[in-house]
Amino acid sequence: MKVTPIAIVVVGALLATMPWLGLPPFYDSFLYLVLSWVVLATSWNILSGYAGYFSFGHGAFFGAGLYTTTTLAAKFNWPFLWTLPAAAGVAALLGLGLGAVVFRVKRVRGELFALLTLAVTFVLATIVLNTPIDGGPGVYLNSVPVPPIGPTQAGTFYLLALGAAVGTLLIAWTIVRSKFGAGLFAIHDDEDAAEVLGVPTYGYKLGALAISAGLAGVAGGIHALFISYVTASEVFSITVPLTVVLMSVLGGTRHWAGPAVGAAVITVLLYSFTAADYAVAGKAMMGAVLIATILFMPDGILLRVLRLFGYGRRPPPVARSQDVMGSAAHREAVPKEAPALTTEVPVVVDLAAADSVVVAAMPSPASAATRAAAPITSRGSSDVLLRAHGLSKSFKGVKALAGVDVEVRAGEILGLLGPNGSGKSTFINVVSGHFAASGGRVTFEGREIGDLSAHRIAQSGISRTYQIPRPFAHLSVLENVAIAAMFGGATLSARAATDEARRWLQFTGLEDKATARPDELNLHQRKFLELARALASRPRLVLLDEVLCGLTPSEIDGAVALIRRIRDQGATIVFVEHVMRAVMALTDRVVVFNHGQLLAEGVASDVMKRPDVMTAYLGRAHA
Amino acid sequence: MLEVRDLHVAYGAAPALWGVTLRVAEGELLCVVGPNGAGKTTLINAIAGILRARSGVISMAGNELQSLPPHRYCAAGIAVVPEGRRLFTKMTVLENLELGSYLPAAKARRSESLEQALALFPMLKEKLTSPAGELSGGQQQMVAIARALMARPRLLLLDEPSLGLSPLIVEDMFGAIRRINAEGMSVLLVEQNVAMAMHVSTRAYVLEEGRIVAEGAPDELLARPEIQRAYLGL
Amino acid sequence: MSGFAWPSFNLLTQSILSGIFVGALYGLMGLGLGLSWGLLRLINLAHFAFAFLAAYLCYQLAHKGIDPLLSLALIVPLFFAIGAALHWVMARFALTPFSSLLLTFGLTGIIESLIQSIWTADFRKLESRYAEMKFKVGELFVPIPELITLVLAVGLAFAIWAVLRFTDAGRAMRAAAEDAPVAAAFGVNERALSLVLAGTCAALASVAGVCVALLFSLAPSQIYAWIGVVFAAVMLGGLGSAWGPLVAGLLLGISESVTMALTSPSWAPLVSFTLLILVLLLRPGKAGT
Repeated sequence: MKVTPIAIVVVGALLATMPWLGLPPFYDSFLYLVLSWVVLATSWNILSGYAGYFSFGHGAFFGAGLYTTTTLAAKFNWPFLWTLPAAAGVAALLGLGLGAVVFRVKRVRGELFALLTLAVTFVLATIVLNTPIDGGPGVYLNSVPVPPIGPTQAGTFYLLALGAAVGTLLIAWTIVRSKFGAGLFAIHDDEDAAEVLGVPTYGYKLGALAISAGLAGVAGGIHALFISYVTASEVFSITVPLTVVLMSVLGGTRHWAGPAVGAAVITVLLYSFTAADYAVAGKAMMGAVLIATILFMPDGILLRVLRLFGYGRRPPPVARSQDVMGSAAHREAVPKEAPALTTEVPVVVDLAAADSVVVAAMPSPASAATRAAAPITSRGSSDVLLRAHGLSKSFKGVKALAGVDVEVRAGEILGLLGPNGSGKSTFINVVSGHFAASGGRVTFEGREIGDLSAHRIAQSGISRTYQIPRPFAHLSVLENVAIAAMFGGATLSARAATDEARRWLQFTGLEDKATARPDELNLHQRKFLELARALASRPRLVLLDEVLCGLTPSEIDGAVALIRRIRDQGATIVFVEHVMRAVMALTDRVVVFNHGQLLAEGVASDVMKRPDVMTAYLGRAHA
Repeated sequence: MLEVRDLHVAYGAAPALWGVTLRVAEGELLCVVGPNGAGKTTLINAIAGILRARSGVISMAGNELQSLPPHRYCAAGIAVVPEGRRLFTKMTVLENLELGSYLPAAKARRSESLEQALALFPMLKEKLTSPAGELSGGQQQMVAIARALMARPRLLLLDEPSLGLSPLIVEDMFGAIRRINAEGMSVLLVEQNVAMAMHVSTRAYVLEEGRIVAEGAPDELLARPEIQRAYLGL
Repeated sequence: MSGFAWPSFNLLTQSILSGIFVGALYGLMGLGLGLSWGLLRLINLAHFAFAFLAAYLCYQLAHKGIDPLLSLALIVPLFFAIGAALHWVMARFALTPFSSLLLTFGLTGIIESLIQSIWTADFRKLESRYAEMKFKVGELFVPIPELITLVLAVGLAFAIWAVLRFTDAGRAMRAAAEDAPVAAAFGVNERALSLVLAGTCAALASVAGVCVALLFSLAPSQIYAWIGVVFAAVMLGGLGSAWGPLVAGLLLGISESVTMALTSPSWAPLVSFTLLILVLLLRPGKAGT
């Protein structure tokens, strides 16, 4: 049994004795508020902090739960306690409905998602205000009996909120340690890369939203009876959504206890201002705290304090612009490197068309534990592993791929060559599911994969690396690789995935960097991290995208040796590469792309001597 | 005219250029060739002021530029045609060209420059009011070159102008580049299409993995086995 | 809940007219917000707080006998300076649009407290000589303060459009918004231009604030009442556009007031927010960066 959940329950039990201690009733009410905010902030954080989808709609779920209880208890005379699960249910359903629609629209992330959720809150408020749910004058709950759980009414509410808080914290803690949580954190850093690694991003986001909403609904239900007179304008005001953001950002969005710390600090601070007759200044203080947090402590108080005591790691020194919400929203299809120069000149990373190398399937590693080694297929066997038929992809009228037919044979190393803009990367992106094809078919091991979502393709046994490495910035090297092991073709449990990850770090020579952050690695190491991540899912097809680009000659030699070792274990590799000596040394066959079409195919040394290929690379003079 | 001495450029922890030294004489058409990832674009961006160098000197007609803010490079006489064109796609072709002549000296001669640009690329006449993003790759490349010419520079920087273009258009474009140089403009051209680049230039450097590894006349370089090896693996 | 009732023709046209007026104010309010978001990539929630601060200043100056329209001569330069100063500070930290949203939300809280401490939370109404002025066009009433707002909204949108479209500085700003490094390579001093732009956005907010003071009662809590509908106008109209928020604002204003005439005032917010949601879902590319 883990210590933390026990500690939470024990502390909860101890706190539960408070109403009987004979303290002034003020304490019950004040602590009720603190605990209620703990529930709201922690539940908000489950989607918004862990996955990076900052929502301004928490008020909607709180309000939905609140009005569910109000309606059921005041109008239909349900016993109050029974309304609470209903409140959770209604709020969760609202969340599910919202997520089901919104998460399908890929571009709605970041500030757009935040604004959309805010709009939903106001829509809900208007509906509540104009229908019999409220109707305008508000609803009274004085006639609803308060269950006699505590010695006083205030005590009862306190205990209910305490129960909700303990439950919420336990849920948050469990999520953080689970595979679900790992997936959410991966989504936070780079949703598209996570999807391609096998994380079911749509389903996970939906789950996180539903849980978050349900818990907010419970807090709302309890609050309904606490305030006993509810009005739509109070309930759906901008206070709840913005305060939970403030509390979580202040406390720290990456830690399960961060929002709770923030909730406690803010509630106490606000109260001390109000009590001292500085209520107005209280709001200013909150504003100042928010500003200071965003500028100087984007990771929140809790982690700062923990770090002082030696726990936890310092944050990755990415540009501040990525700290508070380093979500996938700020990554376009091609990521930008964080400017490390302190001058005012913005650093521009020039990105050539990201050619990805399609790596053929990976057989299980020599030191495989749980799986029997896949039979090593002979080199250049005639079994076709992947077949693309007439594959096309257009972007706004530009034909990146114009109907290519490519066969990848099991066990071979296939080189994908061609000048810039010839469609090599696009091919990789389409096969791995990063883009949907505009036309044509792709079959893998006989099955159609063209219309599968990227995470299902990953789970079928295909993995890829990106030319510009896209590691999860906030996760350690080991955790990065473990994600692949958990969600890719191997689909291991969290513990087995960590072991598997370690194995692959050893294979790529990164084992002493296991606890480091990706930004601490140099380019060569980051490329190998990409490689380890691609291999950890035990794929049967690995797509490598210009893995050697940017490396020094000796580093290239090391990489070539590594790729050879991968192949020697029987892996099928397809790689896009420009470094010719590597192409000559490694490939069994090459295909050459030009202007989105297949130009040539065959053994490398033959193909490279052909006049049309030489023209494509060197231009006319050498035809 | 342009002198680059011992230039070091890095992206964060990853070095991209190591001690690059080169010079472009007045009226010269110089090309820098090299494989992907060699650092060619980094070099162009550093000379254009888009990237800040870690150390080294960039001097234009005797004036040192490397510690100036980016918007001062153009006034020193440098104009760039970036890789991938990087036009202002939401603005019209004409507006792009007008932006090219933003600085006062260029602005004063804007109509003259515009006439010259349209004489060079006549097919742009009908596209002046179209948003730049709607043009084809080849047309965009012409706009990008014209935009740079509008700045009336003394040195024109071209970064992989043939990228993603069909061979026929590439020919036309290099013809235009040659004409521009013939009229006295110094040009620094960076290219992956080695043959075309060597064909138009008088002198070439070879850049590999962030370092200059060769320099000389194009024909002589092309005959060398290491060039053949680097590009064809033969 | 009131039912549905067909209004008279007069009532309908008067509603449409008042929808035009309030919509113009939405557009004016949204002009600076949209410019900041579209061209500077900063979502300035404090825009609303600036507007209200200006409104309160106008109210205060009116007490000293200064005509609200004349007070613009003092208020506009003041807020231009404030906006530029704020941007100067914010530009030191590389903020994403989202961080700027949170940060300016904090700033809004501070400004709101400032307003409340000086003028209290009670509603305040600016008594100006324009308040009672109106004239009649046929059967329709055209109140002067509303007309002033409409004129200002249209005039400023036109001015901004003209600057962006026809001047070098405007082109430079648009170019820098799309690709700042390349714009700099052609001599555009993006730093200086963005300060001017930020100052302009704040100045626009202050003009909107003076209009609010002319038309409505002021209370600090009212700052937040505008956020939703103005964001809707900006996103519908397009970021960085001069005419967009005005047109969208008019659309929103008219649909709101017609809804109010047909059913009841409390259904009005549904219109703008539902439109906003639909735009976000169906054309997120247009609404986002």
